[in-house]
Amino acid sequence: MSPARWALLALALIGVSLLAIAVGTIAVPISAIWDALRGTGDTQLTYVVRALRLPRVVLASLVGVGLGMSGAALQGTMRNPLAEPYLLGVSGGAAVGAVLAQAAGVAGALLPLAAFVGAIVAVLAAFVVAHAAGARGDPRVLLMAGVVVGAFANAAIMVVLANAEPNTVRNALWWMMGSVSEAAWPQIVVLLGYLLVGGGALVALGREIDVLALGEEAAAGLGLEVDAAVRRVFLVASLLAAATVAAAGLVGFVGLVVPHIARAFGIRKHRPLLLASALVGATLVVSADLLGRILRPPAELPLGAVTALVGVPFFLAKLRRLT
Amino acid sequence: MSVLFFIALFVGALLLGACQHSEPRAVAALRDDFGAPVTVTAAPRRIVSLNPTTTEVLFAIGAGPRVVGRSMYDAFPESALAVPSLGAALRPNVEAIIGAKPDLVLLYASQDNRPAAERLRQAGIATAALRIDSIAQFERDTRLIGRLTGDAARADAVVDSVRATLDRVRAATSSLPRPTVFFHTWDRPLITIGGGSFLSQLVDIAGGRNVYGDLPGPSGIVTVEDVVRRNPDYILASPITAANVRADPRWQAVPAVRAGHVLVFDTTIVGRPSVTLGAAARSLADLLHPGAVR
Repeated sequence: MSPARWALLALALIGVSLLAIAVGTIAVPISAIWDALRGTGDTQLTYVVRALRLPRVVLASLVGVGLGMSGAALQGTMRNPLAEPYLLGVSGGAAVGAVLAQAAGVAGALLPLAAFVGAIVAVLAAFVVAHAAGARGDPRVLLMAGVVVGAFANAAIMVVLANAEPNTVRNALWWMMGSVSEAAWPQIVVLLGYLLVGGGALVALGREIDVLALGEEAAAGLGLEVDAAVRRVFLVASLLAAATVAAAGLVGFVGLVVPHIARAFGIRKHRPLLLASALVGATLVVSADLLGRILRPPAELPLGAVTALVGVPFFLAKLRRLT
Repeated sequence: MSVLFFIALFVGALLLGACQHSEPRAVAALRDDFGAPVTVTAAPRRIVSLNPTTTEVLFAIGAGPRVVGRSMYDAFPESALAVPSLGAALRPNVEAIIGAKPDLVLLYASQDNRPAAERLRQAGIATAALRIDSIAQFERDTRLIGRLTGDAARADAVVDSVRATLDRVRAATSSLPRPTVFFHTWDRPLITIGGGSFLSQLVDIAGGRNVYGDLPGPSGIVTVEDVVRRNPDYILASPITAANVRADPRWQAVPAVRAGHVLVFDTTIVGRPSVTLGAAARSLADLLHPGAVR
């Protein structure tokens, strides 16, 4: 991909982020943003930018980075355009963790941890199921195992929610729809840590993903230990997705559609594809959060739904250009 | 002759029909908030009430000893806790209700409760679905409950006493400046009260103005940013949410929070449109206008 196109992707993210800081129920003039960030401008605008808008925009972009990279890695490894980060039971497991935490009344600070643990347990369960099926690193078996674990998680959620208080049901649904409205710096720092480690690991695995994308036999022929490589990518990609879920709930569609948009720029190798997916993912989630905030004030639309509303037309446009 | 005979026959048939209709005689025949007829043939002796408000009303009008089942949420008055809980108040367990052998069931008039109300009626149990969301609905339905249970006089007395307290609070605050209030009811998502809620009415009577009084329903989902824009003078919150608001950096964007204007209301009095409405208005007035109500 040409440097000009990289610059275009980066500019799109910067532009959307500035817009997201400026636009809302309270308008912040673009010229006032810098003063507000430094704390030298109007007090009220400073609070709006620093306490409300900036954390949201940063968290939204980090969530997009994590889901976008995770999706790009999984689609390459599985050679399946429908692969996405929630596949291996991440979303279901995280939801079970979150719902149990809410039903037990320990939500609040413990909720992200519960969601994260739930996601990791579900992914490990999928690996165990695949192992029991005798195919440790076969992507198709792993996919089946993920679907089975996800279905089990859904059943568990229904059992818990069927007898839960209305308040618990409301909290659980709100969480499952995804939101960055409660963005706070400590949680952003934690997610950033996971992204640096997990994203870095995926980029390091980029060459292996390139080889895996050729097909198992070709990869084995090139001397790659296919099973081990597949499991490495799956584990890291799921960890990334689990970290985003812990921070913002379930934000659908991003991991599925972002790699396709990135590929539409003509990228084939996975290292640049992972980086482009990170930029596109961040841009998509920040724009979705902005739209969710301004479409129906004073309420907010759920982030997970708006990502799909924003992503589908974008996806279709790119698809048309490809065909 | 034959004409007279037929008229006599006709009148006789009418009388007979009327007699059959009024046998057994109804003590009270009313319509509930679903528009369904509620007929009790004698003062009910076993009452199931699945709504904190109606349960509290029953105890206040002296029908408490006849309550044989409540919902898990009905915690007022304290003596109500001795009544067995039958579980949920919405989509209740119909079998558990029938198992309590009630001759009157009171439900909250939510769409969720339509199927249960229908099945209880089919089981021959007098069932009233009551939607008590506002002060007027509390007054009307308390009187209705009184007529159903045969405690009409005490129900009227309860309504009059609540109304007297509300009038006293309203009079004490009517000439004072009216601060704007954000009423915080839920965190995730952020939910406040709209103009359709008794709480909005109480804020009004207590000498304040709900910044979200323009929301038509009893409640609505809003955002911290929009609260910033509406810039209330005070935040009203329960002890737990007040602590969250004070600790959450996002809320620092609201000037009232920075100024320390977070008022904590008493959740045992404020929160249900029931016999404590008067006390609730008074406690809110004490927060907004300390010393104004004597």
